[in-house]
Amino acid sequence: MIKTTTRPPTSGLSSTSILEVDALTKEFGGLTAVNSVTMHVPERAIVSVIGPNGAGKTTFFNMITGIYAPTRGSIKLAGRELVGMRPDQVTEAGIARTFQNIRLFSSMTSEENIMVGRTCRLKSTFVDAVLRTRRFHETEAEAREAARVMLDFVGLSKWRNEIATNLPYGDQRKLEIARALASTPKLILLDEPAAGMNPRETEDLKALIRRIRDELGVTICLIEHDMRLVMTLSEYITVLDYGTKISEGLPHQVRNDPAVMEAYLGRGAAAGEYGKEEAST
Amino acid sequence: MTVANANPPKPAVRRPLVKPDRTALLVAFFVVTSVLLLISHAPDVMRNLGPFGDVLRNKVVEALIVSLFLANVLFAYLWKAANWAKLLVGAGSLLVVLPWAGRTDTSLLDLSIQIMIFAALALGLNIVVGLAGLLDLGYVAFFAVGAYTWSIFASPRFGEVLKYYGSNPGTTGSGTLAIGLVLTAVTAGSMIFIRSLHGRIAPTRASNLSFLIAGFGLLSGIILVGRSILVLFAGSAEAVANGINPGFFWLFLALSIMTAALVGVLIGLPVLKLKGDYLAIITLGLGEVIRVLANNLSLYTAGSQGITPIGSASVPWFNGLAGALGFRPDQFYLLFLYVLVLAVIALILLVNVRLDKSRIGRAWVAIRDDEIAAQAMGVPLMQTKLIAFATGASFAGVMGMIFAAKQTFISPESFNLLQSITVLSMVVLGGMGSFSGVILGAAVVTLLNLRILPGLGEASANVSWIPQEVNPANFNRFIFGSILVAMMLLRPEGLLPNKRVARELHHEDDQEDESGDGNASGLEAGGDVYSAGFATTKEDDKTGGDR
Amino acid sequence: MELSVLLPFIVNVIIGGLVLGFVYAIIALGYTMVYGVLQLINFAHSEVFITGAVVGFEVFRVLQDSAMNGYLKLLIALLAAMVISGLLNVLIERLAYRPLRGSPRLVPLITAIGVSLILQDVLRFLEGLQGRFDLTYILPAGFGNKFCAAESTCAPVGNALRAIGVDVQLKDVILVVVSLVSLTVLNYVVNKTRMGKAIRAVSQDRVTAGLMGVDSNLMISATFLIGGALGGVSGVLFGLKFGTVNAYSGFDPGIIAFTAAVLGGIGSIPGAVLGGLLLGVIQNLIGVTNIFGNLLGLANLGTIDASYSKIGPFIVLVLILIFKPTGLLGKSNVEKV
Repeated sequence: MIKTTTRPPTSGLSSTSILEVDALTKEFGGLTAVNSVTMHVPERAIVSVIGPNGAGKTTFFNMITGIYAPTRGSIKLAGRELVGMRPDQVTEAGIARTFQNIRLFSSMTSEENIMVGRTCRLKSTFVDAVLRTRRFHETEAEAREAARVMLDFVGLSKWRNEIATNLPYGDQRKLEIARALASTPKLILLDEPAAGMNPRETEDLKALIRRIRDELGVTICLIEHDMRLVMTLSEYITVLDYGTKISEGLPHQVRNDPAVMEAYLGRGAAAGEYGKEEAST
Repeated sequence: MTVANANPPKPAVRRPLVKPDRTALLVAFFVVTSVLLLISHAPDVMRNLGPFGDVLRNKVVEALIVSLFLANVLFAYLWKAANWAKLLVGAGSLLVVLPWAGRTDTSLLDLSIQIMIFAALALGLNIVVGLAGLLDLGYVAFFAVGAYTWSIFASPRFGEVLKYYGSNPGTTGSGTLAIGLVLTAVTAGSMIFIRSLHGRIAPTRASNLSFLIAGFGLLSGIILVGRSILVLFAGSAEAVANGINPGFFWLFLALSIMTAALVGVLIGLPVLKLKGDYLAIITLGLGEVIRVLANNLSLYTAGSQGITPIGSASVPWFNGLAGALGFRPDQFYLLFLYVLVLAVIALILLVNVRLDKSRIGRAWVAIRDDEIAAQAMGVPLMQTKLIAFATGASFAGVMGMIFAAKQTFISPESFNLLQSITVLSMVVLGGMGSFSGVILGAAVVTLLNLRILPGLGEASANVSWIPQEVNPANFNRFIFGSILVAMMLLRPEGLLPNKRVARELHHEDDQEDESGDGNASGLEAGGDVYSAGFATTKEDDKTGGDR
Repeated sequence: MELSVLLPFIVNVIIGGLVLGFVYAIIALGYTMVYGVLQLINFAHSEVFITGAVVGFEVFRVLQDSAMNGYLKLLIALLAAMVISGLLNVLIERLAYRPLRGSPRLVPLITAIGVSLILQDVLRFLEGLQGRFDLTYILPAGFGNKFCAAESTCAPVGNALRAIGVDVQLKDVILVVVSLVSLTVLNYVVNKTRMGKAIRAVSQDRVTAGLMGVDSNLMISATFLIGGALGGVSGVLFGLKFGTVNAYSGFDPGIIAFTAAVLGGIGSIPGAVLGGLLLGVIQNLIGVTNIFGNLLGLANLGTIDASYSKIGPFIVLVLILIFKPTGLLGKSNVEKV
């Protein structure tokens, strides 16, 4: 642990935190994958978690979304403790996510994928479905409407009835985001959304992420390796290395932090990428 | 009935082929097969036909005629034809011609009931395996639960049980009943309380443990209540010496559904967290456990001897109707069960279709496709899987009860592992996830099992060079095994595929060839045929991909 | 029961359980090795192993009148069973499992169940052609005698054992010795040879192993060969122990052995052995213990007999999978997200 002091969020950021992660730790056997990480995400912000490969970023996300149970620590969404909840309960509480390796439902259409994302907001029950009650028809219409709105929002309307895994790669990423948004989350976690995208697709994605925040009012937290995207998009950045938070702050603060440079350049893991970013900005 | 078309026709990648109208063909086929069926099941007529009658009497030939006849229903469903013709053929076959032929040959009614019972089982297992992707190899256990629920009460067994408790009351009395009731109420109350707590705060170790202890308390409370009720009512043993009043049939129809669903939940709770192959072997084990219990709890189940005779419902107005239609009194109960089973299966099919096109159906398929993603999207895994398990179990439960009423005899051997495998092979043959497919699978496998194999066995019994040990009648394992292997290797999506499953299994093949010839099925009539997509194999799935 | 009677009784139950446990252990190895490389429960393994038992029966039957030494007959039976079961297992993989790699997980699993059923009837058919169903082993003279009986040369050893209450047959000792030899050879092959290293590499990460120049298909075949050969050995031992087998009798020991593999930690070879031995003992103990009878109000659950000992392994399996799904010696396997 080099620096764990929390700097107050600066500039135009909201002062109320929507997500408060405190001293979060995950140990796998003897290995500490995430070591006492504290992170506060301001409401309606776009924040990033970066770090070299194996820094514990995805483990961190998995704890927030309830897939892994933390060894210690607390996670609060708008003041409500999430530790101990199942992933579906976390989603219902208001955190949606996408996956590093795209995990769409491969036998469903785009529309059906998004309708599944809406599941936790639908109130119809087993009995409603069997008896085809009015509530059932209403929720089905609601789910279909949510799918339509979300497909429009991410610009995939033309793929509505196409099998999700038949979509072009970049569109599959967008569909995953749309599916996550269908649960009307307060916070969305994007795990390497730009991975494998070409520069043009990345630009589209950047615009989309801004629109999610501006138009839908959803707070965004992303893990990303594309430094150009991170530096231009994020309002606040947390840097992990070997499971420990080594730096955080505004993009320019993080960029000039020697600890961050050492983490990337010292081991050379992402040296090229980061160096290039340095040179161009 | 367009079962698998969840969505209206849509701008497709490729337009489906326009199918020719086959109304005339359908009606002609219906007439011809109906005549064949009626002739081949009328002994009087066949006697006058000489050698041709002998051919018709052969079991294998009979099976062929029955399958041709049942193909009517399939074609009415699949072919493009006028609605009146579809209705005529569907309803005419099942409601008029079949019962009519059964009037002169009750074995046909028996066979049809069997086919529909298995079709219901296949539909139930299809929810678990085909939609939710959970391989349950102990499915027949639920069938057994339904069967025993009715059999114990509707046979002399119940009297025996009461007699036993009457002569061995132990310390049980009305006091025990009171204690049992209090215990049940208190533990059930605390379980509900803990659950509601869990809704607000995260469960802790202590709260989970207390929930478990309360569960055990509830179980013992229920046992105490049950025991004291049995003891207190032991005096009426004579009154129920031949089983309870058949009027309770309808109540038990509901009870058997609930009991089977409850057992489904109880079995599901500990095991549904497990991944695919573990789940398969553990359900196989629990299925065997239920069979062993049935074998050993001889007071209630009469052990390996089996329970007999088992009563059925008595419905006077129905008997009157059947009598007016020319059925003999000894045929009434079979005809009644035939109509009942037809109604139940229609209901089951309706429930299936409706669930499939609801958020629950989507959640099942999502879990089958990717469990982790499904949960991250807010699908409660355990609850959704339990619903699948309980729904599948309840279908088996109600059919188990009807099965017991039809057979009037059940023993633990009716519910062995091979039965579970038989139902699985129906699902696999017809197509996992496809409702019409599994019904077709059930018909084919049941005909194989009850007519074709025994028919071949009879035919070869008189051939001197075939030893009895290799009589084809005993080759059902081989046949089911071959169905499973051949389908998995050659056509994993089944004979009448569900389009979703076909998509998942053939994502790397060229689907155009597949859909062109094989699926002359209406399942795709309103839908689309999709082009090949990306591999869906997950990176973390080590079995996946020959990479 | 008095302690002086009870203690030797319990000792013998445990020793009987251990002997049984060795059979389970060797069967379990077949499951665990295949699971290690393919993550597939090879349902057909119970038939592969019963094939070994049938081959063993045939060898002893054909040689019943020969004056050959009994141990030599056993050796021939073991070798024949190993070769046939091993090749059968390779053939199954080649024809039924390999074409399905990359399919959803249910597909190969259902295929394995199908193969198992097919083999059951094929075996029954082959023996049925000669008018047989239940196959009773014709063991060489002396195999059924007490170990180191009073009149034999090693009588002092036998007497010493009997003095502390241990009473075993010669065939039990043979069974344990054969099992130990098999385990030693397997340990050598897996841990000391190039092939063993390659198999372990494939089981850890097929893709990377392939990139490193390991022919993963060949190694999977080799695994099926070894697993099948062990199945052959265990089949003969099973026949030796129980005397009678038929084409359908693979199911129960198959399930128990699979449970043993899971108990020990699936994919772990020492785990399979440990699990097998534990389950053998557990099964024997359940067989003699009245587990329900003394509980309040449950006396009418029926007689506690061998059929309850059949469900013992399932209960164990449920308990392990709920409380320690990685087994006793298995490594934890966290699914990557």
